[in-house]
Amino acid sequence: MGVFGWAVLALAVLALCWAVVAYNRLVVARNRIANAFGQIDVQLKRRHDLVPNLVEVARGYMAHEASTLEAVIRARGAASSAADKARAQPADAAAIGLLSQAESALGAQLGRLMVLSEAYPALKADAHMLRLSEEITSTENRIGFARQAYNDQVLEFNNHASQFPEVLLARGLGFGEAAMLESTTSDAERAVPQLRF
Amino acid sequence: MKFWRHQEQARSATARLLWGFALAVLVLVAAVHGGLVLAWLALSWMLGGHLPFPAGFAAVNIGMTLFLVLGGWWVETDQLRAGGLRLAQRIGAREVRAERSLAEQTFANVVQELCIAAHMVAPQAMVLPRTDAINAFAAGWDEEDAIIAVTQGALDHLSREELQGMVAHELSHLHEGDTRLKMQLAGMVYGLELVYQLGESMCERGGAMWWFGSVIKAAGFAGWLAGRWLKAAVSRQREYLADARAVQWTRSKDGLGGVLRKVLGQRQDAGYDARRGQYALDHHAVQHMLLVDVENSSRWAERLATHPALADRVRRIYGRPMPPMPLARMPR
Repeated sequence: MGVFGWAVLALAVLALCWAVVAYNRLVVARNRIANAFGQIDVQLKRRHDLVPNLVEVARGYMAHEASTLEAVIRARGAASSAADKARAQPADAAAIGLLSQAESALGAQLGRLMVLSEAYPALKADAHMLRLSEEITSTENRIGFARQAYNDQVLEFNNHASQFPEVLLARGLGFGEAAMLESTTSDAERAVPQLRF
Repeated sequence: MKFWRHQEQARSATARLLWGFALAVLVLVAAVHGGLVLAWLALSWMLGGHLPFPAGFAAVNIGMTLFLVLGGWWVETDQLRAGGLRLAQRIGAREVRAERSLAEQTFANVVQELCIAAHMVAPQAMVLPRTDAINAFAAGWDEEDAIIAVTQGALDHLSREELQGMVAHELSHLHEGDTRLKMQLAGMVYGLELVYQLGESMCERGGAMWWFGSVIKAAGFAGWLAGRWLKAAVSRQREYLADARAVQWTRSKDGLGGVLRKVLGQRQDAGYDARRGQYALDHHAVQHMLLVDVENSSRWAERLATHPALADRVRRIYGRPMPPMPLARMPR
């Protein structure tokens, strides 16, 4: 083999090394997305587990607000079963869609309950309630941060998968662009909650 | 604040400074050898003859200098490897317990929240209960040993959003391995200082040794000064990087920006005693890991400051200068 032959071989080896490194980076980025999605699920479960406690503490003070409390319990039940279904079939887009709707509804009901509790000073000052509100606030923040972390991971993956020359490799091996989580999925969520005084 | 761009700028500035560090060490070795050659030539001229260089002159000079620099680096880094939890406990921090108070529960939750945003293992949360100054630090060599500590003043005066900004800044230091980097640089500076001390002890012998000692002393001093300047410059860039990361993770300027403005407000407050308020924060091992530099009456040259000026950091975060914020106790 002449010099030209050796040069071509060397180039081919270099290209192969680059391809391996780039492919591994794409795989790692994609796995991180799956991990970030699991983190959202963990925080949603935490929210489900906090709701019964909150309702019990509130029921002691807000005896006349039974309808609101029942609505919260129902929304929590719906979200919990939607989460179980989505966990069983994570690739099913319809199940994920139903989950986001159920979670949004639960978030809205919780928000309504927290606003209503402002009108009951005895409830607001209750030590147990203070700690529970802090946990609920933290959980809502954690869900928000988990979604943000998911989107950050998706951004990193998309950056890797769509820049040249990795884009050639990515398209060939089936690494499409991942979708970011949108802030709202339904028109109902975009409606401003009505407060009746 | 365009946090992605600020992060890239800080990272490339750090890389340049680290190359500068390596260059400084090489220049020092060359300067020591060159200086000793000149001293030898001067000595042989004074003695009126031509003294040949002793065997292995260059090798001994270069080897001795590198031995001092690298050996000192290794020894000091080993000593500074005190670990996160032990260091924090040594200066009086205690672990946060959520049942103790609503403030500690909030802080523990904030740490968990930001660890989700940062995709990190949560460090041990600690508090300095006797310190009024608003400040925080993170320490630890690796994930198992990492801690993040805030002062009681921070828990009393900062809103939830501001606590998030503060914790995000400290988590960035842990995420980037800044504690490790700063320890390595401190060790390197100690190694450079050893060369200076060798020169000094040679000078004390007197006679012909004084010439050689002075040369080594001069080169060592220049190297040590360059090393300290470079270490401070790297430290400042890492602070800018941590500020940009904090804004990225919290997606809020008012979080960390509010903290820095409240620190300015606290320092301007007539009723605040800086010396008492900074209890435990002026321990030398902790000083360069703080969120904000401690106030001290002895003014180090600005070139050697490990933290950028507060007003400068506020301006970078908000994009324009902002006034200090007055303090108010939080209802926790």
